[in-house]
Amino acid sequence: MAGWIRRAGRIAASAGALAVALIWVFPVYWMINSAFLPNTKLTASAPTFLPFGGSLTNFKLVLSKGDFGAALKMSLVITLITVFFTLLFAFLAALAISRYKFRGRKSFVLAVLFIQMLPAEGLFLAQYSMIRSLNLLNTVIGVSIIYVAAVVPFTVWMLRGFVAGIPADLEEAAMVDGLSRTGAFFRITFPLLAPGLVASGVYAFLQAWNEFTVALVLLQGDTKTLPLWLRGFIQQSSQHEIDWGQVMAASTLVAVPVIVFFVLVQGRMTSGLVAGAVKG
Amino acid sequence: MTTITPPAPATAADAARPARRTTRGRRWAWAPYLLIAPAVGILLVALAYPVGWQFLTSFKEFGLAQQFGAEAEFTGIDNYIKIVTTSETWLVVVRSVAFCLVNAFLTVAVGTGLALLMNAVPKAVRLILQICLLLAWAMPVVAVMTVWNWLFDWNHGTVNWLAIQLGAEQYWHHNWLESPLSFYAVATVIIVWMSVPFVAFSVYAGLTQVSGEVLEAAQLDGANWWQRFTRVIMPLVRPVLMIVLLLQIIWDLRVFTQIRMLQDRGSFPNQTDLLGTYIYREGVGANQFGMAAAMSVFVLIITVIAAWPYVRSLIKQEAI
Amino acid sequence: MKKLTGLAALMTAAALALSGCGLTPGAETKSGNGGGKAAANGDKELTLWLAGNDTNDDLRKYLADQFQQENAGWTLKIETIDWGDLVPKLSTAMPDAKNTPDVVEVGNTQSPTFTNVGAFMDVTDMYEELGGGDLLQSFVEVGAVDGKNYTLPYYFGSRYMFYRVDVWQEAGVALPKTLDEFNAAVVTLTEKNPRAIKDFSGFFLGGADWRNGISWVFANGGEIAKKEGNEWVSTLSDPNTVKGLQQLQTIDLKASMAPVDAKDQSPWLYINDTDEAAEEDESVTSTALNAATIMAPGWAHWSIGDPVIGEDGQPQRNDGGVIVREWNPAKFGVFPLPGNDGNPAPVFAGGSNIGISAKTQNPEQAKSLLRIIFSEEYQKLLGGAGLGPANSQFVDSLGTDEFAKALIDSALNSKLTPAAPGWAAVEASGYLEEFFGKVAQGEDIAALAKEYDAKITPLLNG
Repeated sequence: MAGWIRRAGRIAASAGALAVALIWVFPVYWMINSAFLPNTKLTASAPTFLPFGGSLTNFKLVLSKGDFGAALKMSLVITLITVFFTLLFAFLAALAISRYKFRGRKSFVLAVLFIQMLPAEGLFLAQYSMIRSLNLLNTVIGVSIIYVAAVVPFTVWMLRGFVAGIPADLEEAAMVDGLSRTGAFFRITFPLLAPGLVASGVYAFLQAWNEFTVALVLLQGDTKTLPLWLRGFIQQSSQHEIDWGQVMAASTLVAVPVIVFFVLVQGRMTSGLVAGAVKG
Repeated sequence: MTTITPPAPATAADAARPARRTTRGRRWAWAPYLLIAPAVGILLVALAYPVGWQFLTSFKEFGLAQQFGAEAEFTGIDNYIKIVTTSETWLVVVRSVAFCLVNAFLTVAVGTGLALLMNAVPKAVRLILQICLLLAWAMPVVAVMTVWNWLFDWNHGTVNWLAIQLGAEQYWHHNWLESPLSFYAVATVIIVWMSVPFVAFSVYAGLTQVSGEVLEAAQLDGANWWQRFTRVIMPLVRPVLMIVLLLQIIWDLRVFTQIRMLQDRGSFPNQTDLLGTYIYREGVGANQFGMAAAMSVFVLIITVIAAWPYVRSLIKQEAI
Repeated sequence: MKKLTGLAALMTAAALALSGCGLTPGAETKSGNGGGKAAANGDKELTLWLAGNDTNDDLRKYLADQFQQENAGWTLKIETIDWGDLVPKLSTAMPDAKNTPDVVEVGNTQSPTFTNVGAFMDVTDMYEELGGGDLLQSFVEVGAVDGKNYTLPYYFGSRYMFYRVDVWQEAGVALPKTLDEFNAAVVTLTEKNPRAIKDFSGFFLGGADWRNGISWVFANGGEIAKKEGNEWVSTLSDPNTVKGLQQLQTIDLKASMAPVDAKDQSPWLYINDTDEAAEEDESVTSTALNAATIMAPGWAHWSIGDPVIGEDGQPQRNDGGVIVREWNPAKFGVFPLPGNDGNPAPVFAGGSNIGISAKTQNPEQAKSLLRIIFSEEYQKLLGGAGLGPANSQFVDSLGTDEFAKALIDSALNSKLTPAAPGWAAVEASGYLEEFFGKVAQGEDIAALAKEYDAKITPLLNG
């Protein structure tokens, strides 16, 4: 009897989980679906739920407008630089605060927390003049400096949970077995940390990929990142007749690299997220 | 997508406690400073000047003329006086805090619910749910807002169409953004949708550390579902929940892009402003940069004051 | 502080080294685009910022070619800034001598804000040469401070009415000759609703759309703000302004079903009947047609009409991917909003100004570009592209079709927003949208006007 109830409960839970999955994925599906449909279908009063009769026209039109490739390259470079330096800096700091007791540790942890509370809306004038005086306007590095600083605080928080999760004894045991300190670190600690690094990397990737207010001010002319490109595209489109199909195709193109990145790191990521995302 | 758990500590609370290396002694005293140097360095490089500038400017009359080279006049705390004596400021503060709390708690509640769900379903179903959440998480915010704006569009919106199909005729051309309450409801749906994946994964991480044996033992002792949840599961995932909630509160209090992009589509900004858009519109949009700076400092102070008791309790529990 | 700079330099050096050693392919640093830096072919560059895409590719090419011809060793670099991003980009780049664009287009209502803070170079000495009294005077005014010229008109647009000839006929409503007739006609249209369309608007006007709604204020002799002595004051409570607002409220309540928070974004969507032509199985299940009349800038006519269906049965698109529409005179028509006296009512003029950045390093070349822009050839090219040329001598170049006629007629009396230094702050505050939206909701106008006068006046003086 109890077994029967349990099985019914499991089925109900599965049904619920699938329904929730459907709700969460719907906007994503809607974006991709609409990207394949002509505008006339999209502005009809009854929505079209399946991309039958769809075509790649919207994508072709969007890509024919030129600068997508340049913006993609720009975004990729900035994002990769940001992810690399963020992980490096945050990992070292996480090591410090989870493995050592030192004067100023608590202040550092609190500072890192409070920095995240800083409203950024009014900062752009100062950011511009600072990056200008460093002679880094319109450069990948100028934007990346701001991004790394914006992402590092949270990443430190995220990684410290992972670092703390790896018993220091493990390393020491390895050293007893004749490995050097660095050897012990790379053979023992680093592999265990990989999921944490992937999870933090994903966070940094998303932040750098999505940001546009800083990029807008620090990049000029035809140097654009993808969110700027997408915004420009939407603004131009809405100046005349918003072509939803094309806007959705453009949005899809911006989302695709992220999805590809997720697929590449997926195995690591879920285990990473699951292993201890923010354990404080 | 596997969910292998590496040799993680038994409880999240353990993880938070820094391992003490007293044995190592003085030899390593400088090591932690060296390790935090790059992080501190980049924060100083990127933030010291802008934040310092913002602090100084908040005591000045600084508009577009000053940006174009005119002498900026020090006006003491005039900007701050103006902020705290404007009734609209307090209205926006109250609104923002309410919006932030509703969103943060809702996000954490839904996220926890989904984490429990993940824990309760077979692996295949869990995988589908996780992939869907990841896809939602991967959407760029500009794309997210474009899609949602369109779903809620008064003219061609799918939400209105669905409502009508379900028999609610009054939703023909219903404008979701017109009344502030309905505007915030839409914003809440979007923000919760965007934030839940992070929370769900984090809490699920905590849940996987609750061992099955403990739960079985509790069940054998006659604990029902609710008792097992409140007495066994909750205490173990509580540290994760506390941190996630704190982060959500911080993030939701300074929400900007979503509100701004919704305002671009509809509503009257003065009725729907939250702190982020308020700073932007009254300060930056109106070229009152001194005001904007003062407002930012004001918001920072409010956030720190509001978060302080919570942070202190976290410190006491050694979660920080 | 010294230490900090040192640290910054070190970090930067490290980052540069990394990007240099192949870790980050493609991270080449681009040179700043101002300051006449050397371009690839050894030429020096002059940078022109154009807002949005109203200046089409032909016009851009003409400018670039002509500039290169007249300035040996120089090329013209044209950059497009989206309208929504223009103000933050101007506020950061223009004070920066090293990175400022040399010549800049600004929206006419944004001009006073920037000219008053000294963002633009004084071009009074060129004023006569570039057209003088022939230039559109209302635009010249918003570009001048204390009698000196800083920005000059670039092109003008105007707003007029687009209407469905067929629907008006079916409702038996004649074209109005005065403003009162227009106000009554659109209410009648809405009541008759000849095609029994749900939520049909005789005249679709967004509640918060003050840029169009303001025409009713102007037509009744009202203003939004006036300069009294040295101070600007908001004049929403002025009896003439209130009279216009009352007419507007009647339209909002009885003739327009537009959302009260709708701004002036693409009203033409509601006057086309897009879907009828689109359904492949020819079953007409729905129609987008929702309004018999709209008010829009002249270039909206490219977005109005029947879609041109290609051989594949799909609507054809132009190079930009926008559906090509064919104007069908049996369905669509235009007329300028009539005023109380039967002449076209003063509407809010669209368009923009152009000027030289005060911080430019290349004033001679920038001036040369202005001469090209104000030359007869370029002015006529502007007209040919449907943009009202700044110099009134060349207005003929707009052509003689009904659009040109409506544009010229409606522009005759057109007005601009007040040239107050704080006007940008007023626009940014969103008060006007809110005020007009509340009028549309049917709230008491006198009380509203008083409330918003008090809010707007302090912003006007910057």
